[in-house]
Amino acid sequence: MPSLTADRARSGQKDFSLAPVTLSLETTGASREFVSQVLSVEPIMGDAVLLTVTAPSGVLSQLRPGQFFNIVTRFAGSFDPLLRRPYSVYRAHRDPPALTFLVRPFGRGSAWLAERLPGERLGMLGPLGNSFTIPSRAQRLLMLGGGVGVAPLVMLSDEAAAKNLDVVFVMGAATESGLLAPSELSERVEYAVATDDGSRGHRGLATELIGDFVQWADHIYACGPEPMYRTLRTVAEPLRIDRKPGVKISVERGMACGLGACLGCVVETTRGMIASCVEGPVFDLDDIIL
Amino acid sequence: MSTVAAPGLSVDLAPNNPHELRLRNPIIAASGCFGYGEEYAGVIDIERLGAFVSKGITPARRAGNPMPRIVESPAGMLNAIGLQNPGIHGFVKKYPPIWAKWTVPAIVNISAESVNDYAVMAAILDEQPAIAGIEVNVSCPNVAHGGYCFGWDPEMSAEVTRAVRSATTLPIIVKLSPGAPDIASVAEAVEEAGADAISLINTLVGMAIDVRRRRPLLANHTGGVSGPAIKPIAVRMVYQVAAAVRVPIIGMGGIMSLNDALEFFLAGATAIQIGTGIFVDPGLPIRLIDELARWLVEEGFSSLDQIVGIANDGFQLGQRPALADWESVGV
Repeated sequence: MPSLTADRARSGQKDFSLAPVTLSLETTGASREFVSQVLSVEPIMGDAVLLTVTAPSGVLSQLRPGQFFNIVTRFAGSFDPLLRRPYSVYRAHRDPPALTFLVRPFGRGSAWLAERLPGERLGMLGPLGNSFTIPSRAQRLLMLGGGVGVAPLVMLSDEAAAKNLDVVFVMGAATESGLLAPSELSERVEYAVATDDGSRGHRGLATELIGDFVQWADHIYACGPEPMYRTLRTVAEPLRIDRKPGVKISVERGMACGLGACLGCVVETTRGMIASCVEGPVFDLDDIIL
Repeated sequence: MSTVAAPGLSVDLAPNNPHELRLRNPIIAASGCFGYGEEYAGVIDIERLGAFVSKGITPARRAGNPMPRIVESPAGMLNAIGLQNPGIHGFVKKYPPIWAKWTVPAIVNISAESVNDYAVMAAILDEQPAIAGIEVNVSCPNVAHGGYCFGWDPEMSAEVTRAVRSATTLPIIVKLSPGAPDIASVAEAVEEAGADAISLINTLVGMAIDVRRRRPLLANHTGGVSGPAIKPIAVRMVYQVAAAVRVPIIGMGGIMSLNDALEFFLAGATAIQIGTGIFVDPGLPIRLIDELARWLVEEGFSSLDQIVGIANDGFQLGQRPALADWESVGV
C-alpha cells in the first residue's frame, strides 16, 4: 500500500467523570424519544466541541455508524429555534452508555448546543436514518472527511479498527486548527490531512490525496460539503471498474420530522425524491443526482 | 369515598352523516405532518389518537418541489413540499390495506386543480375500505379560473364541496384556507353545500430571503407558514367560523400545549389537529389526551362538549337539531 506521512501521537481514553451529575434517563411517551443529560463538553477542531450525553442502553445496542439524532436546540418554553437539529454520532460509549456529537457553532441551533454545560438536559429523537455498512468481505476502507463531516466517519473507523480492517482516513479543512487530532482515531488507521492554506499536510483539497487509494480500497466512504462529492465523483470515476469500489456518502439536510413523514429533507436520486432521514442520510454516490 | 369518572372525550365529527365519524378523543394528527400513519406507528401509540389525516393525495403522482423545501421562521416554519405523493391510484394500492389493520380512524386529504378531479378522487375513495372520511383541501389553485385559490372564494369552495358530496357518502371535512378575504362566508358556503365538518386553518403564505445568496430560501420562493406564530390567526378564524356555521369545527394552527388546545375548544372547535407540533414533540398528541382529561376533571367538567364554544358569544354548534329530530327526518 502506498505510504503516507501520518502523525502517530495518541493520548489515553477520555475521562467522563466530571461534575456531580446523576445519570438520569427520562422517557417522554414516544419511543426513540428521550431526554439526555450532558456529561461533558470539550473543545476540538478550533471552535467546535465534542458534546457527550447520556443515552439509554437500548438506543446504543441498535446504533450504527452514520445514524443521527434530532436534538432540541432551545430552552424549554421557548419556540426559537423551533426545529430540532440533526447530528450524526461521532462516538458511542458503552459504560456508562453515552453518545458523543461533534458540534461546530454555525447557526443559532448549533451555537446554543455548543454552549450547554454538564448536567443540562437535552431532548433527543433517534437513532434516525440508515447507516454506513461494511460489506462482509471488505478489508480495505478509504474514508474521506471534510470539516465536521468527519463525525460519522470517526464512528465508522472505530468499528473498522475493531474488526482489524485497514483504514485510510483522509481529512480536509480550511486550516490546521480545523483538523481532527490523530489521537481521535484508532492506531490502526492511516491518517492523512489536507488544508486549503497548507498550514498542515497537503496544501489543497483532500480529494487530491485519494487518487492512489481508490483502486486499493474495497469500499469508499465520504462525508463533507456537497462540492467535495462532485470532486470525488470526478476523481474516482476513471479509477473505478463496474461501480467498484462502492462509494457511500452522507448528506446533510435541515430536518422537520426526522421520520420520513414530512418529506422536507429529500434528496434527488435516480429513484426519485427520497427522504434523507429514512433511506438516508447515507446514499450510494452513483444514485445521487448532485 | 367517591371516584371521579373519566371525562367524556369522544366526539362525532359527522353527526348528520349516516356513517358518523366518531372519535374516541378530539386529538387528530394533521395532514402533511404524519405521512400515512406508518411513519409514526413505531414511535407513538397511534391507536390512542382520535384520528389522523394522511398526506394530501392528488390525481396524478407528484414528485414535489425541488429543495430547499423547508425553512425555519420565527416560532414556526415555512414549507413548500409540493404535495409529493403517489397519486390516487398509487395511494389506494398501498395504504387502505395497511390502515385496515388499525382501529384508529384514517382520513384521506385530497387536493386538486379542478372541480372534476376532486369528484373523481372522492368517487374512488368512496369504494375503498378502511377510510373513515375525506378532508378536502381547497387551498389549491383553480386552474379553470386563472389559478385563483378555491378556498378564497365561497362559491368555488361550495362547488368543490357539492361535487365531492355527490361522489361519496363518506364524511367530508372541508379544510379552509386562511387566505380567504372572508373565511366565515366560505365556511357557510361549504356547510350549505354538504360538508359534514370544517377544519381550519391551513398554512398562511409566506417567504424567507437568504441574505447571503440574495435569493428566496425556498426553491419554490413562497411556502406555507405553520407553527406557534400562526396560532392567534387560527384562533380568531375558528372563533369567527364557529359563530357562522352549525357543523363541527376542527381547529388547528400552532398547537404545542394543552393551553393552546383549550383556546381552540373554547373558541368553538369540537376537535383539534396537531401538525408542526408533532415534528418538534412527537409525544405531544398522546400526552394531550391525558392532560385534557385531567384538566376537565380538575375544572369540574364531566365531558369535553361542556367547554366547546363557551368563550364564543356567537357559538352556533349547540343550535343544530338534536339527534331525535334527525331520526324523525329519516336519516
